[in-house]
Amino acid sequence: MEINTQYSTLPASKAGKRTSLWKRFKKQKVLHLFVGLGMIFLLIFSYTPMFGILMAFKDYTISDGIKGIFTSEWVGFKYFDEFIHDYQFGNIVRNTLVLSFLKVIFAFPAPILLAIMLNEVKNRGFKRFVQTISYLPHFISWVVVVGVSYAFLSADVGMINRALMELGLIDKPLNVLTSPNYFWGFAVGSAIWKEMGWWTIIFLAAITGINPSLYEAAEMDGAGRLARIRHITFPGMKGTIVVVLVLTIGSILGGGLVGSNFEQAYLFGNSINNPTSEIVQTYAFKVGLSDGRFSYAAAIDLIQSVISVILIFSSNYIAKRVSGSSLF
Amino acid sequence: MLKTQKQKDILFDSFIYVALFIIMLTMLYPFYYVLIASFNKGTDTLLGGVYLWPRNVTLENYKIFLADTKWLSAFIVTVARTVLGTLLGLLLTSLVAYALSHRDLLFSKTYFTIIIFAMYFSGGLIPYYVVLRSIGLLNSFAVYIVPSMLNTFFLLIAISFFREIPGELKESAHMDGAGELVIFFKIILPVSTPVLATMALFMGVGQWNSWLDSAYFVQSDSLRTLTFRMMEVINQSNAPMDSLAVANRPTSGVTSFSLQVTSMVVSIVPIICVYPFLQKYFVHGIMLGSVKG
Repeated sequence: MEINTQYSTLPASKAGKRTSLWKRFKKQKVLHLFVGLGMIFLLIFSYTPMFGILMAFKDYTISDGIKGIFTSEWVGFKYFDEFIHDYQFGNIVRNTLVLSFLKVIFAFPAPILLAIMLNEVKNRGFKRFVQTISYLPHFISWVVVVGVSYAFLSADVGMINRALMELGLIDKPLNVLTSPNYFWGFAVGSAIWKEMGWWTIIFLAAITGINPSLYEAAEMDGAGRLARIRHITFPGMKGTIVVVLVLTIGSILGGGLVGSNFEQAYLFGNSINNPTSEIVQTYAFKVGLSDGRFSYAAAIDLIQSVISVILIFSSNYIAKRVSGSSLF
Repeated sequence: MLKTQKQKDILFDSFIYVALFIIMLTMLYPFYYVLIASFNKGTDTLLGGVYLWPRNVTLENYKIFLADTKWLSAFIVTVARTVLGTLLGLLLTSLVAYALSHRDLLFSKTYFTIIIFAMYFSGGLIPYYVVLRSIGLLNSFAVYIVPSMLNTFFLLIAISFFREIPGELKESAHMDGAGELVIFFKIILPVSTPVLATMALFMGVGQWNSWLDSAYFVQSDSLRTLTFRMMEVINQSNAPMDSLAVANRPTSGVTSFSLQVTSMVVSIVPIICVYPFLQKYFVHGIMLGSVKG
């Protein structure tokens, strides 16, 4: 993600100083046409919605169309106030935070461990095979993951419940999918299952970048395998770990790198596990698109984006101070 | 001394192999179970005990699935959006990337600022919905294709890839009087297979798996996608008991659960078929975009 600085410091070409700007532009006109096409797309699908944030401070009705964003009446912080006093507010905020932090604690280290283990495998065929299998779930839709979970865990047809009952380990099925008690654990588990292998790619690449002579030297000095992991592999991954951690914390409310909180909470959520599964995003979504309260939903959305931005900047700052590596 | 070290190594290795084997099994078995359940008689699966292979082999689930026009139309819509969405997405994203890969492009700093800002900030779903509605994309097939034609993340990856292509290639074509479009299609694209394959895979999988747009941006039944239909079935079967579905089709032995696993197989198989071929490309492609330092 150093792309940012890299592109913004392009050296001005020498030829440019001699010919006039207009002449150069005319020469590049086809290229500018191509870029212009892209800019139109960004304008419509990225920038216009950004202006749409205004509706959080206004009484917007959908029948006003896009112009309504500007013409509808200002109401200030009315909808923010309403959200804070919403009877579900405490629950939703707690669920959002708990789910995200549980994921950072449990789902974030999983690919690091897998990468370290894979790195210790000498048999290349086996290593490749495990890798290929492990990132397969990343490509499967969350809807399918819901279906698979249902096939395994549901109280009536779930295979695991059936098997446990046959073995006599439980006497009535566990309601993993329709009980508020299991949702957090289940969400973290399914996120690990789906995304662990995928994020291993990046950590394995970081390990590949470590100078092999370090390992040889350590072996000469009599370092065992665990010592080599601790003193060479792990420090070698540290920079990548920090960058991924910052990214994860920054997108923590959205779920980001360790799996989409929204899709999970929305697809796995039901009226029974609602007390633990409703998060800010799903609530905004339901309020907005199902109930048609656009301004209110936009206000909730905005609160979340602001917190995300604060989180990414502060985690980046802390990472810079603590370890010296950071995202920007 | 040496011997104990070796013994320790063996212990260490076996631990890792066993752990990896368990992980692999956890990743693989759910897919396998869904597969065997789709080939097992629906009412029989509900009795439990189907673990390793189908006990009561039948193609009935697939027959019922394919006979249902709702599923067939969802399948066709999904294939269409995946093919079209991927092709047009590849075209626009790489075309814009090609232009931006010119280091001497005027205003390129401005262009990049606009792109990167759009990557980090968004208006959120609600204003996005309002925009789609205003430009008349709601409830049309185009809503699956048009908004995703320019992917900013792959734009940056493609730019850094195009920049690695030797400039002499382009220059000699310029000498021969080739225009930018000719250079793009005849020279740049043919040598860019790794990045194109990566982008195609991700755009394709994204299109194939997408459900949110089908659920909320489209109302017409004929525009629903496979993933949306699957969600419908899963939600239905989560609520009532399966006996309902069985009662409706007393003779076939097909249950809503067996239909559900069948639809999952139909949805997973195309992904499993393409991705081993593209795997070597995407690992490289992702690295190109993520860890540069």
